[in-house]
Amino acid sequence: MLNVRDLGVAFGAVQPLSGVSFAVGKGETLGIVGESGSGKSLTAMSVMGLLPLSGGRITGGTVEFDGQDLTKLPERAYRKLRGGRIGLITQNPMTSLDPLQKIGPQVDDVAKLHLGLSDKAARDRTEEILGTLRIPEPALICERYPHQMSGGMKQRIVIAMALAADPDVLIADEPTTALDVTVQAQIIRLLDDLVKERDLALVLITHDMSVVAQTCDKVVVMYAGRAVEHGPVEAIFDRPRHPYTQALIACIPRGLDEATRLTGIEGTVPTVVNYPSGCPFHPRCPRAEAICTTARPDFSVEGDSAAACHFAEVADAQPA
Amino acid sequence: MPNLLEVRDLSKQFTSAGGPFRKARSMHAVKGVSFDLPQGRVIGVVGESGCGKSTLARLILRLIEPSGGAVNFDGDNLLAKSPSQMRKLRARMQMVFQDPYSAIDPRYTLTRAVSEPFEVQNVTPEKPMAEEVADLLEMVGLNPGLAASYPHQISGGQKQRVGIARALALRPSLLVLDEPTASLDVSVQAQIIGLLEDLRTDLGLTYLFISHDLSLVKYFCDEILVMYLGRVVEALPDTAAPARHPYTRTLMESTFEPDPKKRRLIAPLEGEVPSPFDLPPGCAFADRCPNASALCRTETPVLSAETGHAVACHHPI
Repeated sequence: MLNVRDLGVAFGAVQPLSGVSFAVGKGETLGIVGESGSGKSLTAMSVMGLLPLSGGRITGGTVEFDGQDLTKLPERAYRKLRGGRIGLITQNPMTSLDPLQKIGPQVDDVAKLHLGLSDKAARDRTEEILGTLRIPEPALICERYPHQMSGGMKQRIVIAMALAADPDVLIADEPTTALDVTVQAQIIRLLDDLVKERDLALVLITHDMSVVAQTCDKVVVMYAGRAVEHGPVEAIFDRPRHPYTQALIACIPRGLDEATRLTGIEGTVPTVVNYPSGCPFHPRCPRAEAICTTARPDFSVEGDSAAACHFAEVADAQPA
Repeated sequence: MPNLLEVRDLSKQFTSAGGPFRKARSMHAVKGVSFDLPQGRVIGVVGESGCGKSTLARLILRLIEPSGGAVNFDGDNLLAKSPSQMRKLRARMQMVFQDPYSAIDPRYTLTRAVSEPFEVQNVTPEKPMAEEVADLLEMVGLNPGLAASYPHQISGGQKQRVGIARALALRPSLLVLDEPTASLDVSVQAQIIGLLEDLRTDLGLTYLFISHDLSLVKYFCDEILVMYLGRVVEALPDTAAPARHPYTRTLMESTFEPDPKKRRLIAPLEGEVPSPFDLPPGCAFADRCPNASALCRTETPVLSAETGHAVACHHPI
């Protein structure tokens, strides 16, 4: 459904994103994972064609959606797709709804714009979608303002808006980061069901490997604006071959006994103006050697997965 | 170990003033919370948003005035202290706040932010201030070279380290950590948790750790209090104890394993936390509980035991 090849993005002279590739099909969930500043949200913005708004431009690669290359699409045509066949769920439900407008009209607008429905038909559709999202008494909710609802409920409304025009692809940018664990479980379950029932292609952006493990079929791990490892979710968790992926998994406190220390990843994500030479992860990598500081590693492919690390094969040789 | 902190039957009732369009109403944000925190231990308080865990933290430090109960800190009854006595005592009990972005004044350099506690408490550090600040920054894993930076020049994780350095400035014995990692990436969360573990060992600190993430609390804490709508519904004496309250069980089942093979069909907790203003009689969890009976809807369960594994449920698992 969505096929991104070798995507590069620049803001003026800086190049925060390069060589990002992934593909996601119907009924499939792809996770894009990495720390803040690794380029996950920028990838989502590029696919949505929102880069020009913030002064960025696509410098290379293609974004293929249903056979057409979106990087060459004029803005007028993009408007039809954006929010229509490609839906976006934003990170912060508290700020993505208009506080001055009731819920009903906000969701109605999507169907009116993209499907050309009448006021009445759009409202019927809104209530139906709210119902499928297990929101009790949709008609009543339509008359409420965002401040009258909890965070989890607002996130459902944002999901309803993304679904209103019956999209083929849904991009969810950290949809559960601001929520309690119980509400996170509800929302993740909901997205899971939607992918299956509506045969959606879902791109789930997160920094939490446990969310990836729970929901995704495929994973792309990003660091400093590049994909560093990708593959099927079982393979990535069974045998993570990139030290960054291994570190991300080790950050999760689940199921650790007290003897195992939670380590975290030393240092911080580099900013775009000082991306390191060679392998971008080398300053924080426990395994880095001289070659890592000078030569950018190519992808080492194994089965369906690939890792951009000079020592990926060494990882293969070690017992799991 | 002696108890550093003893909390007895602590309660807070908030009232919202009435107006032309609505009646005055009141709610219990925290009701009848009791626990002991021995020197050097870590107690975790977990619950969803709105369960009263942050209010509890503030009540203990008397940042909010309790409506009832008692708080004993190292033998002192805090609720009997005058504001000036209280201020003195606060040097020994500090808080790390949830949002490092708003906890530090954006116009303060890190030096000023970290030295502010000394000013407020009118304490002269043993070493020259610049050295003291450099030591504190180093203690929390920050480069002392950052001392002249402003908060907007550093990352979220670094800001939280500054928040911790500030809290440690006056060498407190108790640190109340109110969701210190909730707004951070998991990788940074792991760093901060690792730092807090080291500081606890090095400085002999005692922590009260507030969080909504039960798996993090299980990893980090010695004992766990589970709160729901202002009350403690279960007190786990150690992290290996099996959940006996259906709510605790649900919280445990809501966390994901970092292993796709352990993926499970989550049966999420339906519904939301009811409004604390007009609670139905009986157990506050009854409407969302799979095991609720008629008894649960009429009679409020009380915590079963004073010590050890206590659960407030008519039908514990």
